[in-house]
Amino acid sequence: MKYMASLETFKSLSPAEFFYRNREIAGFSNPSRALYQAVRELVENALDATETHGILPIIRVYIDRTSNPMHYVVSVEDNGIGVPPQFVPKAFGQVLFSSKYKLRQTRGMFGLGAKMAILYGQLTTGRPVEIITSPVKSKRVYFFKLMIDIKNNRPIVLEKASWSKKKEWHGTIVTIALEGDWGRAKSRIIEYIKRVALVTPYAEILFKGPDNSYFYYPRVTTKLPRPPREVLPHPYGVDLEAFKMLIASTQESRLEDFLVKSFQGVGKKTAQDLLRKIGLPLDKSPKKLSLDEIKILVEEMKKYERFKPPRADPLSPIGAELIVLGLKQILQPEFVTAITRKPAVYEGHPFIVEVGLAYGGAIESSNEPILYRYANKIPLLYDEKSDVLWKIVNELDWRQYNVSFPAPLAVLIHICSTKIPYKGVGKESIADVPEIEREVRNALREVARKLRSYIQKKQKVEETYRKLTTFVKYLPEVALSLEILSINPETKEKHVDREQLIDKLLKVLSRKISEVKVSRDLINKVIVSIE
Amino acid sequence: MFSTADLRARKRALKIFWDKFNKLIESIINEEEPLLEIPKRTLANTVYDESRKLLLLGTQKLTRRMFDAHEARKFMQTLLMARIIYEALLNDEYPTIRDLYYRGKHTIVYRDHKGRIREENTWDEQKESDSVIRDLEVLLGLLREEMLILSKEKGKVVGYMRIKSGDDIIDLSKMGHGAYAIESTPDLIEFLDVDAEYVLVIEKDAVFQQLHRIGYWKKHKVILVTSAGQPDRATRRFVRRLNEELKLPVYILTDADPYGWYIYSVFKIGSITLSYESERLATPSARFIGVSMTDIFGDPQKGKKPYLTEKERKHYIIKAKPADIKRAKEIINYKWFQTKQWIKEINLFLTKKAKLEIEALASKGLRFLADKYIPEKIAIKDWIE
Ligand SMILES: Nc1ncnc2c1ncn2[C@@H]1O[C@H](COP(=O)(O)OP(=O)(O)O)[C@@H](O)[C@H]1O
Ligand SMILES: [Mg+2]
Repeated sequence: MKYMASLETFKSLSPAEFFYRNREIAGFSNPSRALYQAVRELVENALDATETHGILPIIRVYIDRTSNPMHYVVSVEDNGIGVPPQFVPKAFGQVLFSSKYKLRQTRGMFGLGAKMAILYGQLTTGRPVEIITSPVKSKRVYFFKLMIDIKNNRPIVLEKASWSKKKEWHGTIVTIALEGDWGRAKSRIIEYIKRVALVTPYAEILFKGPDNSYFYYPRVTTKLPRPPREVLPHPYGVDLEAFKMLIASTQESRLEDFLVKSFQGVGKKTAQDLLRKIGLPLDKSPKKLSLDEIKILVEEMKKYERFKPPRADPLSPIGAELIVLGLKQILQPEFVTAITRKPAVYEGHPFIVEVGLAYGGAIESSNEPILYRYANKIPLLYDEKSDVLWKIVNELDWRQYNVSFPAPLAVLIHICSTKIPYKGVGKESIADVPEIEREVRNALREVARKLRSYIQKKQKVEETYRKLTTFVKYLPEVALSLEILSINPETKEKHVDREQLIDKLLKVLSRKISEVKVSRDLINKVIVSIE
Repeated sequence: MFSTADLRARKRALKIFWDKFNKLIESIINEEEPLLEIPKRTLANTVYDESRKLLLLGTQKLTRRMFDAHEARKFMQTLLMARIIYEALLNDEYPTIRDLYYRGKHTIVYRDHKGRIREENTWDEQKESDSVIRDLEVLLGLLREEMLILSKEKGKVVGYMRIKSGDDIIDLSKMGHGAYAIESTPDLIEFLDVDAEYVLVIEKDAVFQQLHRIGYWKKHKVILVTSAGQPDRATRRFVRRLNEELKLPVYILTDADPYGWYIYSVFKIGSITLSYESERLATPSARFIGVSMTDIFGDPQKGKKPYLTEKERKHYIIKAKPADIKRAKEIINYKWFQTKQWIKEINLFLTKKAKLEIEALASKGLRFLADKYIPEKIAIKDWIE
């Protein structure tokens, strides 16, 4: 065998090119999934631009057909903060450009979503993205038509215009043409919109599909969830790379000050104590740390026990009240409850678990609980069975809580965190993290207990009514019989009247059954006819 | 239009109903819990009265409450039945138990505790309405005949005897080849005159007809009765009256098998299901004339020769079926069958595993049955008490 010397060529890949080649990671694996993902990215940007900034969202989503039956136009409109014109090209034309690289909970976090949709649209239809935007305080409206230069990861602005505002409006409209498959994506997209509406009862959401399918979710409250506050990273949640980035961006010249200023939960005393333990000088310049020193520092920080626990300020839970409202509005159950657990921490990342539970009413019975999963308010629709949340919900012994399947039961679980531990690259299911599992399990038990006492109470009332019905249904028959039996055989006169007897019998009955009111109209309620 | 006997019965029944149910009405007006106390009609509450030789109803009572989930439906049915019987009494009607079933049967359409529309019949089968009629009989101490309720009766009678039924006088010796059908309300019959030595009750209608045709009753001065199978209440009451009022001895002729024995015991001491009527229906002095096991096989102890030859036995005997054996074993446990003679009879049956129909004796020769078997057995007192 003879070896052929081959010439290996080297080149670097632009982020745009990398993500385009690996587009399934971002959810653009086929036309159906891509259409769904594009809607998702644009809707999530719209929500980030509104509620995170204290604005009650109004969101409109349109999907239209084009002359090419494979191509669709997706357009999402919001009343958010808008995008300053100087940032529009990069925000929509440069992969990994974002305003959300901050330690706070938002839906988008990587500067990727909108661009993946634009990139996919551009490559499947050759058409540019169109953006109309007006920032909150701006007097003008800006219009852009742009494409992405994939090789160089740079925006190409094709058209640009602006005009002065005629009415008070701020917000953004993004319109993308892309290859899609509405027939296949339809049910997922509609389900997605419904699930978004479920946790945003403070939003007004309109959806119009290409086949005239139309969904409108009105706003049912003006209460917004508490917005996330940006925080410094916690020492437990920082890895080597993140630590290096903090060093690169710091102004501090002393290690002690760097620790105090760059991290949360680190005071002067703690910083000194930690550094002394490791044996690093307090006034060493952080930029002069060797790689080994950094490694030791990161490791020791993770072991050190005297930091204050991570703060929950960057988190924005939905809140039990809003979950209840959402479940009520969308599912129309007869019973609903929800709880927001206290913040907890895994691997240095704060997280909050929220669980809502809806039962009966318009919910259809099924053989297992209907599960609504959310991560940072984003509905998770795919890979349900591999999700730890699914496992927890189905492992619970529901019979202990007086629920026997098939039952009309829906469970909503929301995990919010500065870092969601996803399973795999698809970001559609939550990984098994003991701390999170424990929180979810406790939350679930707590709401299930409330459901149990509701069901018990209901069963008791039902039982009383059942008993009452057995008596009341015979009442007219008995009263009529007695009326006839009261006829004096000599004079042929009746001695009592059936109405009088019914009243008396009801009185006796109300003495026996004190749990519910026994009154005259009960007869009309129970008896339909006697034939 | 109505006979005076009817009118009297009607008046009496109405009064008993009125008294009973006005008490219930009064308690309801006083806002007391509506309830009825009804003697229990169960085997456990059936007592065999050794001295009077009667099956009687015990003293246990059940309390049927309107506002008891298990009793509510029965309570309603009891009152509904009381009302339609009462209406019939008031309107001078004679309903049958089937009529009462139809009159009371209707549908209550109601909404259940879950809001679903449901339908329920006041009763579904006649079994249910018959059962509340019996409850009313024991509650009121009034037989249904006394409430002028009719039922299909199958008993027949012939003999030298004149009776008054309604306002008609009937001569029971002038019925041609037919016979007088015993009416549903035998208590309303008036006995005018009689010329008879005893009463012979025959289980089988066919054998009754044969004996009638050859003039058995004329020759032997007999009141001939058939129950045509299990005796109904009217036949039992009629026989009882013949015995009690006319002091005529009563002989009963049935098949030689457990069912025949039980028919005899129903005439004699009453039935388990209708024990409350025994006092009026049973004839404690009735005698079982045959066909007995010893008639078939003889009784060496007593030197009794069988009425059948070896060859005839081969011919006429039917092999007992498992159900017959089972029934015999049940019967031997009934207190009222635990006499020396009966134990001997039943044991003989159990060892021979053989039964015989009366028709077999008639086949041997109607004359044999009429001129030898019956008269001889009566003459030598070969019966079982
Ligand atoms: N509807 C919008 N309103 C305001 N800003 C937006 C909107 N859509 C996108 N942006 C801006 O564009 C940036 C990039 O969006 P995207 O590519 O989806 O990444 P990410 O959402 O992860 O930041 C966002 O960080 C945001 O600043
Ligand atoms: Mg985004």
